[in-house]
Amino acid sequence: MIKLLKIEFKKIRTYKVFWILFGLYFVFLAAGILLAEFMINHMVNNVNQRMPIPFPHVAIYYFPDVWQNVAFFASMRYVLIFPAIIMIILITNEFTFKTIRQNVINGMSKTEFLVSKLLMILLMAVIMGIILTAGSFFIGLFHSGFTDVNLFSKGLPFMGGFFISLACYMVYAFFCGFMLRNTGMAIAIFTLYSLIIEPVIYFLFRAPFMFKNTIYTYLPVNAVIRLTEYPAIPMLKKMMGLELQNHVSIVACLIPMAYAAIMIGIVFWVMNRKDL
Amino acid sequence: MQVETILHVEKLSKRFGKIRAVNQLSFEVGRGQVFGILGPNGSGKTTTLSMLLDLIPPDDGTFSWFGQPPSKDSRKRIGSVIESPNFFPYLDAVTNLKIVADIKDKPYDDIDEVLQLSGLYERRFSKFRTFSFGMRQRLALASALLGKPEVMILDEPTNGLDPQGIAQIRDLISLVASRGTTILLASHLLDEVQKICSYVVVLRKGVMLFSGNVREVLAVSDSIEMASSDMPVLAAAIAEFPGFLASTAINGILQVHFDRPVVTSEINTFLYIKGIVLSHLSEKKRSLEQHFLELLQDTP
Ligand SMILES: Nc1ncnc2c1ncn2[C@@H]1O[C@H](COP(=O)(O)OP(=O)(O)OP(=O)(O)O)[C@@H](O)[C@H]1O
Ligand SMILES: [Mg+2]
Repeated sequence: MIKLLKIEFKKIRTYKVFWILFGLYFVFLAAGILLAEFMINHMVNNVNQRMPIPFPHVAIYYFPDVWQNVAFFASMRYVLIFPAIIMIILITNEFTFKTIRQNVINGMSKTEFLVSKLLMILLMAVIMGIILTAGSFFIGLFHSGFTDVNLFSKGLPFMGGFFISLACYMVYAFFCGFMLRNTGMAIAIFTLYSLIIEPVIYFLFRAPFMFKNTIYTYLPVNAVIRLTEYPAIPMLKKMMGLELQNHVSIVACLIPMAYAAIMIGIVFWVMNRKDL
Repeated sequence: MQVETILHVEKLSKRFGKIRAVNQLSFEVGRGQVFGILGPNGSGKTTTLSMLLDLIPPDDGTFSWFGQPPSKDSRKRIGSVIESPNFFPYLDAVTNLKIVADIKDKPYDDIDEVLQLSGLYERRFSKFRTFSFGMRQRLALASALLGKPEVMILDEPTNGLDPQGIAQIRDLISLVASRGTTILLASHLLDEVQKICSYVVVLRKGVMLFSGNVREVLAVSDSIEMASSDMPVLAAAIAEFPGFLASTAINGILQVHFDRPVVTSEINTFLYIKGIVLSHLSEKKRSLEQHFLELLQDTP
């Protein structure tokens, strides 16, 4: 296992594309998170100009809400697409450069090859999870001070949910790249599906009562994003009269994990039968 | 002493749609042999080697390496170059070789040595992307040499090299072979196989035409034509000539092949002593290529 990760690390250590995309993910994420409150309050101000009783300003960086909010922004489609593209590039590169052939020729088993890529997904998800947990903690600490010893216990389910979202989404991307073998095509199709096709399906099939229990809920990408479906903004609750999410549902976690498990199964099956 | 069998191939077959790329191929390679797979383009050489390295699952047939069913551990004992050199373009030569060494569970110690052997040492920190075609081919060879493998599999290793490069690579292969490494070399160049290999299988359209000792199969026995009044007696007599390989009678003329260069006067004297007077005696020169083409055509 360690050996496989060592090999994978050699493959990316000086690979600029990897580090640029990795960096872009955090730039987008940090910008999204740090600008979110400002943007929301900007909208609130606009609305308030026409309101007799002004809405209060929102605050999204306080414990314990900061956990859910950061997890929400970090698992938005437009942000998650970056690690997905990284994964697509890492696997399709192996086909483009035919290094997958060479790895097998040199004595890696086909199973080991796939395991090494899956380990990379796990490792990347763990590292991003840790960075995000630390980030949320400091944002919270900065805004509300150290208020409660239970802070982490309230936050960890959301961070765990983010970890599952990210890992499963990267497995989808890996699956797409592995099956298509071509970098450009895989990125195009994956992005098109994630960012356009599923949202369009949503608009076509949404139920009269928004959000709940349509087929759409079970589509793979939405199943990933839905783990933290809404930010924790008390005002939103009041305004919309909705009982908004305040925990990560175990059942919701199982859906993307089931998709990921099926895709991994297919990848192993194909790997042992197709020519390299 | 019995030579240890390194590779045993039995009735290996692979088809791509209608094309039978490899058809019921069987052969055996012994330790220390330099074994050639010779055949024109599209005859199934690369497909055969790909199956032997677990890249392509065979439709039929079996093979074993080192007397064991194929596995990743047997592949670690083999250094291979198949078709094109496959490396990460954005990594330098050394890092690419380190990845190979990691996979093979070999130390990095001989990376410098294989780079020197293949003439790439000065460029070892250049990215693979910046290498010329010949340099890529050399890096592939360097990676195959890494970790002192017991067997080397080379698919057209001199493809795309300049004449000097070809000579260097061939010398290198001979050097490695002289250390006792078993070599399996696929090539469409008769001349190459003849210079390097001791054993050969000749393929055409996936079917094995010949196999055996290179000198016997590929003997460039420039044939010698002869005739006399009693052809059967002549045929029997010349068969005793040292170095005789085969003879065929065509239109009252006997065409005789030898496994060494033969001078006509030698033959004349030899037959004269046996009391045979020749009415016709002439040399017939053939190029290697001609011979190769004949080999491929001679069979149904
Ligand atoms: N992936 C593939 N799909 C379909 N046909 C293939 C495939 N690979 C090889 N073939 C066919 O199988 C036959 C043997 O091909 P192969 O590459 O083994 O030949 P070769 O002896 O290595 O030729 P060359 O000297 O040109 O390298 C050819 O007819 C080729 O068209
Ligand atoms: Mg070939």
